[in-house]
Amino acid sequence: MSFLAPLYLLLGGAVAVPLLLHLLRRRIGARLEFPAARYLLRAEKENSRTLRIRNLLLMMLRIAALLAITVAAARPVARWLGAGHGPTALAIVVDNSLSSSVVVNGRPLLDQFKGMAKDVLSNATPSDRLWLVTIDGHVRGGTPAVLRDEVNRLEAIAGAGDPATSLSRAASVVRASGLEAKQVALVTDGQRTEWQRTPSIADAQVLVYVPTTRPPANRAVTLAEARPTRWTPRGSVAARFLSHDSTTYRITLNGRTFARGTAAPNEEVVVHASPPERGWLAGTVELEPDELAGDNVRNFAVWIGPAPGVSGLPSAGPFVKSALDVLRSSERIVDGHDITVVGADELSSLPALITAPLDPVKLGAANRALERAAIPWRFGTRRAGDAAVRGGAGFDGVNTAVRYDLVAQTGAVAETLAVVGRDAWVVAGPRYVLVGSPLTADATNFPVRASFVPWLGSVLTERLVGEPGQVLEAEPGARMPRPRWADGLETVDGQRSAIGDVLEAPSRAGTYFMTRNGRRVGALVVNGSPAESQLEQFTASELSDRLHAARTLLAPDASAWSSMAFRGAARRSLLEPALLIALVLLAIEAILIGARPRRMA
Amino acid sequence: MQGLPGKAAITFLAPMESTRAMRADLFDPASLAALGRIEIVSRWIVDGFMSGLHRSPRKGFSVEFAEYRPYQPGDDLRYIDWKIAARSDRWVVRQYEEETNLRASIVLDVSRSMAWSGAQMSAGGPARTRETTAVTQLTKLEYAERLTAALALLLLRQRDAVGLVRFDERVRTAVPPRARNGQWRRIVASLEEPGAGRASSAADALHQSARLISRRGLIVLVSDLLMEIGEVETAMRGLRALGHDVTVLHIMDPAERELPGAGEAVFIDPESELSVPASIADVRAAYKKTVDEVIGEWRSMFGALGIGYEIVSTDAPFGVPLRQAFAARQMLP
Repeated sequence: MSFLAPLYLLLGGAVAVPLLLHLLRRRIGARLEFPAARYLLRAEKENSRTLRIRNLLLMMLRIAALLAITVAAARPVARWLGAGHGPTALAIVVDNSLSSSVVVNGRPLLDQFKGMAKDVLSNATPSDRLWLVTIDGHVRGGTPAVLRDEVNRLEAIAGAGDPATSLSRAASVVRASGLEAKQVALVTDGQRTEWQRTPSIADAQVLVYVPTTRPPANRAVTLAEARPTRWTPRGSVAARFLSHDSTTYRITLNGRTFARGTAAPNEEVVVHASPPERGWLAGTVELEPDELAGDNVRNFAVWIGPAPGVSGLPSAGPFVKSALDVLRSSERIVDGHDITVVGADELSSLPALITAPLDPVKLGAANRALERAAIPWRFGTRRAGDAAVRGGAGFDGVNTAVRYDLVAQTGAVAETLAVVGRDAWVVAGPRYVLVGSPLTADATNFPVRASFVPWLGSVLTERLVGEPGQVLEAEPGARMPRPRWADGLETVDGQRSAIGDVLEAPSRAGTYFMTRNGRRVGALVVNGSPAESQLEQFTASELSDRLHAARTLLAPDASAWSSMAFRGAARRSLLEPALLIALVLLAIEAILIGARPRRMA
Repeated sequence: MQGLPGKAAITFLAPMESTRAMRADLFDPASLAALGRIEIVSRWIVDGFMSGLHRSPRKGFSVEFAEYRPYQPGDDLRYIDWKIAARSDRWVVRQYEEETNLRASIVLDVSRSMAWSGAQMSAGGPARTRETTAVTQLTKLEYAERLTAALALLLLRQRDAVGLVRFDERVRTAVPPRARNGQWRRIVASLEEPGAGRASSAADALHQSARLISRRGLIVLVSDLLMEIGEVETAMRGLRALGHDVTVLHIMDPAERELPGAGEAVFIDPESELSVPASIADVRAAYKKTVDEVIGEWRSMFGALGIGYEIVSTDAPFGVPLRQAFAARQMLP
C-alpha cells in the first residue's frame, strides 16, 4: 500500500486529541459548585466499570475513526485491496480503420468498439487522465464526458490509418502524464495488413482486445484509374476487383453511370469512353454493397477536353511529323495551332514541344528564341558521343549521340523528365517541354523507339494541354507537400478551403478538386489502401506478440476488456473503504452514545 | 391580592381561570419572590391558598365565626349569609376561625448546601443547554424560607402555635411555638438571621424542636436532606417515640434531579468540599438513577416511621408544598 498524498498522514497526530482528552479528563479545569456531589460520586462508583469500559471504547472508536479519515485523506492505493482504481493515465486506442466498419452479426464492428470505449470511460474517476486515440493518429484528451462525445462522433475512416503512430502517440501521452499507472487500451479488429508495423511501448501496459469472430468474405474495388488522366476527349477507366467470384460493377462519371459489367476475380477491366462532359470530373467504380461497404466504391478523377490542335514544323524533324500523323489518325490530336512541335530556332509561340536545332549554326538563334519566349533555359555546349538516357516510362533504352547541355537561367523552375549522366536532357515547364537533342536518328534513337509516340501523345495531350494541374492520389489522412500549381481544395460538397504548405488528405474517401485562383486545376483522389480490403485477422495473442510492450494483457471478450481497463494497470484506491470504515466507526460511536441512557438507567 | 404590585410582570405557570390565576400560591416562585419581602410574599401566598380552600373537607371541625367577607365566585353556597342578602342585597359569606391546641415547629435547614440554585450551573457550568433552569431561579434556601413563612402564617391563622428552628451544623435559631400575635413576625425576623454553615446537623435541630414542644405536636422538617440518613432516622425515631407527627419537605432544585448541561467539570460539594470530576453527558443517566435511589431510601425510611415525606421542587409554586404540609396538619386533631 502506498499513498498519493502522504503529507496528509501528518493529520494522524490528531489522534492525540481524544487520547489526551481521555487521559486528562480527571484534570478538568472547570470547577462547579454542586451540593449533590455525593450523589454524583455514588453514581460514578456504582457505574465506574461500565463507564470506564465505555469511555475506553469511545476513545478507541474516535482514534480509529480519526486514523481512518487521515488514511483516506492521504489517498491510499493498494494493488490487491480496495475498490475502484488509483489515478491512471489511460489512452484508449480505437481502431476506426475502414475494416472496422465491417458488419458482423448485423452490427458494425466499430459500434461494438465504441460501446466498449464508453464502458471504460464510465469507469473513470476524476483523478484519471484520459485520451482517445483513433487509428489515424489523432489524439484527443479530456474528461470522460468530453471523450464520450468524441466516441459518439467517431466514424470509420476510409483507409487503414496508421496503427503504429497511433500506438506510439498513445504511449507518449500516458508517459507524459506523470502518473504512476499507465495503460494503453487497444481495441482493434487485428487486421493483418494493418498491423504489419508496430511500435515499441516500453513503459506502459497494453490491454488488447481482438474479436474472435471470423471476418466475412469481402468484395472490394482495388483499382479505379482513368487512363490517361486527361481525356481529349477519349480515354479509358481501368478497374480491378477483389472477390471470390465474378462480380458486377458500375462505373460513374460526374454522377452518371456510363458503364456496367461483370468482372472475374482479380481481373483488370478497362472500359473505353468518350464522354461529352468537359473539365475536371470525379468518377467512381462501384460494387453492390456487402458487409464492408467502405471498399465497395473507389474514386478516380479525369480531365476531359477536346483533342488539341497540333502543328509540327519541319525543324522538329521527320520522325516527329510521322508520329503526329499517327496521333492524328487515332484522333488524339487534330491539326491546329494550339501546340507547336518545333525546333528551337523556329520557336515563335507557346505551348510548344521544343527540340534542339538540327544545325549547330542555328544555336544562337535558338537561344534568342528561347529568351523571347521567356523560357529560362538555354542550349549550351554541344556534346557528341553515345550516352544513355535515364528517365521515367518511355525512356528505357534511349541513347543520345548528339546533345546540347541545357543550361538553366536564373529563376528557372522546371521539371526534369530525363537526364544524361547528371545533365538534364528533357525538361518541362509551364507550357513548354524542351529536349536537349534534335529528334533525328543521328542525334538520338528516341524518335525511332516504340515508346516515342505514346510519350509524344502524353506530352501533347496531358502536359501541354490546358492547366498544368494533375491528379494526386492519397490515402485518407496522408500528408504531402502542397503542389505548386494549386492553392486551394474543393471538397465533395463544393466548399473550398486554402491549402497550407502541407496538404493533408481528408479522412473520407472521395475526389477533392485542387484549385488555383478559384479554378479547378487538378484533383486529389482519396482512396483507402486496397490492402484494407483484406480482412484476415491476427489473433489476440499473435497481435500481442507483435506489440513490443512492457506488459500486455489480453482480454478474452469485450466485457473483460472494459473491466480490465484501469484495474490491470493501477493499484486500487482505498479512499472509499477508508471513508466507509470511518463512517462505520463514527456510527458505532453515535450508537454507543445514544444507547447509553437505556443501558445505564 | 388587589394591591399586588407588578402583577402584569408575573409569569403564570399555566392558563387558568381568572380567579385562580390571581392566587399567589400558584405563581412561579421566582417571579413571586421578586415582588417583595418574605412577609409580604408569604401573606399573598397564604391569602391565595386560603381562598382556594373552599373545596377542602373542613366539615366536622369545631369552628368559631370570625367575620364576613364579600362573596367570590367559587365560594361554597352554604356559607352565604342569606339574611344579609335578603336585607341588603349584598352577597357575603361567613368566615370562621378554627379553634385548636396544635403546637407545631418548623425545622429549617439553612446549611450552605441550601444556598444554591441550578442557575449557578447554567451560569458557571461547562456548557449551557436548553435544559438549564432560569438564572432568576430561587436558591433552595430562599424557596424554603418563603415556604416556611407561608406555612407558619397559615398555621397561625388556624390558631395553631408555631415555632421555628433553623439549623446548619448547629442550631442557629430556636423560636418556641406560640399562637399569639407577633409570633409570625418573630419567625420572619428569625429567617433573616445568618446560617450557611458547612454541615447539616438535623438531629440536634430535631431534638431541639421536640424540646420546644411540650406535648405532642407537629414537626415539619424543611431541608435538602444532604445529610446522613442514619442520623436523621435516629432523630426521627425519637420524635415519633415522643408522639410527634412529622412531615418532611425535601427541597430539591430541578438541576439536582436532572443534572442538566453538557461537557466536563469538577463538581464540588460546598459543605464537604468533596470534588467529583465528571462528564455530565456520560454520567447523567447514572446520576438520575442514583438520585431516584436516594429518594427511594428516604421515602422508605420515612414511610417505615409513619412520617410524611414530600419532594418539593424549587420551581414548583408555593401552593403545592403548602397544600402538602397543610394536608398533614388536617390529619391531626
